[in-house]
Amino acid sequence: MSGAWRIRIFFLAAAGFACLYFLAVRNLPPWGHYRGPYGDVMATSSVFQRHTTDVVNAIDYDYRGFDTLGEEFILFTSVLGVMLLLRDPEKNKGISRTGNMGQATRFGAAGSYAALLVFGLYMTTHGQLTPGGGFQGGVILATASMLIYIAEDFRVFKRITSHPIVEALDALGAAGYAAIGLSAFLFSAPFLTNWMPLGKTGDVFSSGTIAAISACVGLEVTAAFLMLGYTYLEEIVSETGEGG
Amino acid sequence: MSQIAHIFPFLVAGWVFLCGLYGIATSRHLVHTVISLAVVQTSTYVLLLNIGFRTGGAAPVFADISPGITTVDPIVQALMLTDVVVEATVMALLLAMVVKAYEKAGTLSPDDLRLMRG
Amino acid sequence: MITPSPALPIAVPLVAAAFLAGLRKFLRRWLADLIATATAAANLWLCAALLRGSWHSNIVYWFGNWFPRGRIVVGIGFEVDPVGAGLATLACLLTLLGFIYSWRITDSGRDLFQPLMLIFMAAMCGFAMTADLFNLFVFFELMSTAAFALCGLKTHEPAPLQGAFNFAVTNTVGAFLILTGIALVYAVTGALNMAQIGFLLGSRHDLLVIAAAAFLCSGFLIKAAIAPFHFWLPDAHSVAPTPVCVLFSGLMVELGAFAVLRMTSVMFGQSLLQPHSAFRSTLLLLGSLTVVWGGLMCFAEHHLKRVLAFSTISHGGAMLLGVAIGTPAAITGWLTYLFAHAMAKAGLFFTAGILLHRLQSMSEPQLFKRGRSLRFTAALWLLGGIALAALPPFGLSNGEDLIESATHAHALHLWVTLMFFFTSAMTGAAVLRVGMRVFFGLGDAGPADRAAQIDEAPDGPEEQHRIPARMFLPAALCIALSAAPACIPGFGRWFFNAAHRFLAQSLYIARIYAQPTHYVLPSAPHSDLGSTLMHGAIAVVCALLLASWAVFHLALPRGFRGATHLEGPMFPLRKLQSGHPGDYVVWCMVGFVLLGGCLFLLP
Repeated sequence: MSGAWRIRIFFLAAAGFACLYFLAVRNLPPWGHYRGPYGDVMATSSVFQRHTTDVVNAIDYDYRGFDTLGEEFILFTSVLGVMLLLRDPEKNKGISRTGNMGQATRFGAAGSYAALLVFGLYMTTHGQLTPGGGFQGGVILATASMLIYIAEDFRVFKRITSHPIVEALDALGAAGYAAIGLSAFLFSAPFLTNWMPLGKTGDVFSSGTIAAISACVGLEVTAAFLMLGYTYLEEIVSETGEGG
Repeated sequence: MSQIAHIFPFLVAGWVFLCGLYGIATSRHLVHTVISLAVVQTSTYVLLLNIGFRTGGAAPVFADISPGITTVDPIVQALMLTDVVVEATVMALLLAMVVKAYEKAGTLSPDDLRLMRG
Repeated sequence: MITPSPALPIAVPLVAAAFLAGLRKFLRRWLADLIATATAAANLWLCAALLRGSWHSNIVYWFGNWFPRGRIVVGIGFEVDPVGAGLATLACLLTLLGFIYSWRITDSGRDLFQPLMLIFMAAMCGFAMTADLFNLFVFFELMSTAAFALCGLKTHEPAPLQGAFNFAVTNTVGAFLILTGIALVYAVTGALNMAQIGFLLGSRHDLLVIAAAAFLCSGFLIKAAIAPFHFWLPDAHSVAPTPVCVLFSGLMVELGAFAVLRMTSVMFGQSLLQPHSAFRSTLLLLGSLTVVWGGLMCFAEHHLKRVLAFSTISHGGAMLLGVAIGTPAAITGWLTYLFAHAMAKAGLFFTAGILLHRLQSMSEPQLFKRGRSLRFTAALWLLGGIALAALPPFGLSNGEDLIESATHAHALHLWVTLMFFFTSAMTGAAVLRVGMRVFFGLGDAGPADRAAQIDEAPDGPEEQHRIPARMFLPAALCIALSAAPACIPGFGRWFFNAAHRFLAQSLYIARIYAQPTHYVLPSAPHSDLGSTLMHGAIAVVCALLLASWAVFHLALPRGFRGATHLEGPMFPLRKLQSGHPGDYVVWCMVGFVLLGGCLFLLP
């Protein structure tokens, strides 16, 4: 199809789409009047059943934890795919030390790095209490490590993030989730049953496997985003010819 | 008029969906195609969150409110969280394909990159 | 024999995949192959045990021990019925054969091939067994993501990237359509479990139900490659490695149609799936369109994997006809057809892979006359072609016969018979034509079209003069198994039981709520061997004639060379296969509007 025809057909189809969609949403319950019951059951029972105060996390890691296992492996698969496509062991081998950053930058970066690290760990471990959890914390932790690239140079960053251990940690996080799920079989309970002690509501060590799974997810997401960040950064470095 | 007000937020989701599709249909740059796909995805967030919204409902976090207070639907938020991660990673995979395609074919225009015609 | 937990066929391969991927720098190739093959074999055993366990009643499994509270389902549940467990078993079988085939080859994928295949297998198993709508979406995405990565496995050339990119864009748009549909359903029912949704919706049949069904179904029909949603499929198939093609064609595409039927029978069983409903007519329309489109394009292609890909589209359309008719007998036929087609197509793809391995090309003009010494490969290829043309004893003939005999109205019966004849004759003819040119060197080399020149790095390092027996084994086994439904008497009864249970909405819902169910196994219908044989014979003869017409067209007088137009580069449908992701997405939208419009407007 030529561009003009594609747009013509697009607008025809879009008109049909708009009609169908409009007719559908007209029959929805009015906005602002969510009727339940699924969400309300969750909101009223999870504090008592699971000793979590953040209901969304209780749903993600416990009630509907099996979805999150799938989601976890989607992330894992994507990272494998990106590595498959972009990672080339021969690339950027000859990159030497890039120019030194000023002392002020390095000092500032080190300070922010420590702060971000603490924040990321806090996010990961407090998911069952307040909004947060493994995914959010993991992204923060991985982003913090980008500061190494800013403060030091690409070589150091590469040495840390391209290490096989990072890959192994990524896999460990993903497999750990499944292993926690499988561990319920020891108590002849179904997969992903929350068998650990639930603790006191509002405590950091509460909510049983939710906290454990959150930590696993945090590990996997950190490792995965480190690998993603490194792989894409390598593309930039090799294109702009930095270093060399 | 009030009927329109009741469905307006849902219509926004539909509008965003169509905007994203328009972007894909008219795209002349593969990165633009991927970002348009992300726009389509955004519409699903808008729709999901609006469906679970309840006027006057609190956030479903009981750290500082007592259990029993009416909240918005936590389920759609959990679904949305899953959706965010799923699609963010798929975008990463798509962008990797784009980078590689540029390396191999030297172009980023979907019009020039059509080895598979016919 | 104890029934294993339905979580195991998902959890075990995922853990194995994480292990293989995490330690890939430290594992030797043979060890990784061994672990992957053993995992697939173990999963095959697990799924087969589940299949056995679900024979008398569906197995319900609540993850996290969250049983429903009254009518409200709290957690995620699996409901394993014979169809779901059977499809999972098929996924494991095909993956296992793929591992055997690629034992120490497929070097281009390096060390990520095995973990990706294992994740793909786990996703298909979960997709087939889940009873939760959002969980279905999650497995859809996991399956898609693994498929995108597997499709771009050969990163040396630009063509695989483009095929994978188009595949990923269209299927991701499909995922958003599904998600929108899920949101609409959730808004009115406040539930995500399909059985609960079905219970709450009952016979409700308003605009919202129709629109939600249109969103959900078009998303899954993109996966099922039903015209006009099908454009991504040939692009993806022509570049993917052989074992991946086997899984794509053999099962992934069919799972799309499976999801449509599972959703509609459980959630909309009393509204959309009523006899003579608009939904059935719409599926009949789309299925017929797909049969014709796929069949014509199949004959017009000259890239071996694209020929097979378009044949999958055509057969997928034929299977959709069975879904549309939707009586227990038709669904029995659908299952028979699905199994036999998966096996025949897997056998053909393995054979094409052997050709690629041996002769380093997938293009019909380039392969012309070069396969004359490959007797065993030729035999497999031609047998596969005959299987596609639905000659008894190959199972496609049984499936076809069951679906045809399930139609009562005379006009419909005639139409469905015609459609099945068309798909058998066209796809059979294309495969036989390739066989005549490549293995016997008959006629001329055939026209060289653009798509036939897509280079593909072969699965192995360089031209091989010896083909190891482990590559032949899966191909031969698959072709032989595609005759199993006709030759093993238990199969028909088994498929009939599975189909009955699959369609029984009340049974499915009752099992979720642990209510007592009364189920009496009905007696299976008998198929008429005489008419099957006749249909098959006619189709094969027509296929042979058509193939010969194309191959020997130069020997004919000028006025009789019509086949050159049918397989020629000027074929108008070919222009629509443009390779542009924007076009493909616009066609998906057209398909969505077509589907939704038909649901609205048809009586």
